[in-house]
Amino acid sequence: MDDRSADSDPVTAGESSILDTLGEDVIRIVSPVSLCMVLVVLLVSSLSSTNDLSSSISSLFLSSTTTPTSFSSLNLLLLGSDSTWEEIKSALVTALSFVVVVTLLTFLLVLLFYFRCTNFLRIYMGISSLFVLSFLGGFISLLLISHLKIPIDPFTFAILLFNLSVVGVFAVFMPKFPISMNQGYLVAIGVLTAYWFTMLPEWTTWALLIAMSLYDLAAVLLPIGPLRLLVELAMSRNEEIPALVYEARPVDPQPGDRVRVWRERTDVRIEATENSTNSANVQTVQETRLAVSEEITAPLIEAFPQTGDRHLGTEEEEDGIGLGSSGAIKLGLGDFIFYSVLVGRAAMYDYMTVYACYLAIMAGLGVTLLLLAVYRKALPALPVSIMLGVVFYLLTRVLLEVFVVQCSSNLLMF
Amino acid sequence: MTVAAGVGYVLIALGPALSLFASVIAKKPFLILTLLSSTLFWLISLIILAGAWRAFLPVKSTELWPYSILILTSVGFQEGIRIGFWRLFKKMEDMLNAFADRVSKPRLFLTDKMLLALAGGLGHGLAHAVFFCLSLLTPAFGPATFYVDKCPSIPFFLISAIIALGFVIIHTFSMVIAFNGYTEGKRKDQIFVPFAHLIAALITLINLVPGGCNIGLPLLCIMAGTTLYYSWQLVWRRLTEHQTTRSSD
Repeated sequence: MDDRSADSDPVTAGESSILDTLGEDVIRIVSPVSLCMVLVVLLVSSLSSTNDLSSSISSLFLSSTTTPTSFSSLNLLLLGSDSTWEEIKSALVTALSFVVVVTLLTFLLVLLFYFRCTNFLRIYMGISSLFVLSFLGGFISLLLISHLKIPIDPFTFAILLFNLSVVGVFAVFMPKFPISMNQGYLVAIGVLTAYWFTMLPEWTTWALLIAMSLYDLAAVLLPIGPLRLLVELAMSRNEEIPALVYEARPVDPQPGDRVRVWRERTDVRIEATENSTNSANVQTVQETRLAVSEEITAPLIEAFPQTGDRHLGTEEEEDGIGLGSSGAIKLGLGDFIFYSVLVGRAAMYDYMTVYACYLAIMAGLGVTLLLLAVYRKALPALPVSIMLGVVFYLLTRVLLEVFVVQCSSNLLMF
Repeated sequence: MTVAAGVGYVLIALGPALSLFASVIAKKPFLILTLLSSTLFWLISLIILAGAWRAFLPVKSTELWPYSILILTSVGFQEGIRIGFWRLFKKMEDMLNAFADRVSKPRLFLTDKMLLALAGGLGHGLAHAVFFCLSLLTPAFGPATFYVDKCPSIPFFLISAIIALGFVIIHTFSMVIAFNGYTEGKRKDQIFVPFAHLIAALITLINLVPGGCNIGLPLLCIMAGTTLYYSWQLVWRRLTEHQTTRSSD
């Protein structure tokens, strides 16, 4: 029997087991998603104890400048708490109008990309990131400062905010920035946007989540879907779409690993640069035909962008999951945001729903990655996770909570 | 009772689990994925149980028998699920071995298989601690504390934290024992696990009696220690046997 029998001692054989490195790229995408969710839950639970008047005034202030949400917020504030049916109706109207706006804007994006206005798109996205980091970041920092009673003077605050926002915009859009800062700022943008979304009323949030996941499914998989058009356009031109995408740090290739490749229908190519995900310039691509054998577990899709206008119609993020230029997994920032919105809204009820929804979202992400490895085309990352998350939220709230509380309050556990 | 007490309760319930995680599991990404999936499975089994029992809750009586039926059915269901979990584990092992052959790396070592069992068990224990203890711990971060009628000497949060600690240990190591037992086919190990789980759950029934928690808690810790000891003996024996068979090749 050779050395590689099933039970050889790893220490004396000197070989490492496959268990050491398998699944590392999945963990590299699971960790930032988890971090984003944890931060949103912490923000929600520490800031939700502000009194209702100030929080509703603040949401009024923000929502008065946005078309989709102002209707429901103003409506609720002016008419007081409505009956459930009224809330559901206004929630459906809001969600529907949001999806319509997002669809129109995505088609506009496809048009602009078709006419090669990529510089315009980049500047637009830079301005929207600046907006998120400075205005939203400033607003949420003010809420935190007033809640935690941090002593800080306005000048220091202004300088810090200005510095952090400007560096954030550079970190997200310049190609040669250190990758940890890039990733950190993307997570920060995700946290801020997700927290803002959790300030919507409850029914509206759930209707919005379900509507966006259905839209994602349609936009990616239908032949007339705007995202599919965008992906095919980018693929046919060999260009990167300017968008906010989180790219996990590429895994160091082990000796004996196959090189991960980027497959597009018939040819096999490897991108020359490492970290460039968001530059609009056409990458110098080395069309190399490599005799490589089957890839391992890495999903093989193009950069899959979706630009949906999220808030104030000024931001573009990407949705969906794909494979980056260096072979790492890419996940759009819109996915981060909507996962965190779901978990944040669950946190407003109770922590048990938070844990259940977190596990459901991770399961959905795993299923999506599996489907990606099987189908090898652009896939939406929202539908499976959001649907599982909503189902688990309902099940926990209706079934599990009564059971667990009944058992625990009698100190009965198994 | 303030953030410090809340964090303290979390650490009591999850201390050994966190140290196991940091020292063993965090180093291998695949084990983290195994942990997450086994936590999900335990949650799903708990939801199914809650669904089955929903019509009968809340149990208003103070009699012992409704609660004992609850415990018996729950433990029986979970032990049945464990066998299903083991089948999944075998399938995963085959897939991993096939994958290892494809990339010309060594197949799964014995320690790898035990690590997978440990990660699975820790996932179950973590799920128990999270859903039975942590999710109810939110008031403990505030300014007051809470005592249950049946147990006026120990705060409720402390009792649930200690019980969660006991069950984390029991779940983690009974998975190791169970997988080894099913792999080797030894009846003694296979019977030990459901038996230990059932006894531990029945011990918590003692808490229904006024003042019973003073007896129930130490008994539960003894049960956890027994499971730990049994698993230690089993793993020791298995590893030494394995060493001797390998060196005799």
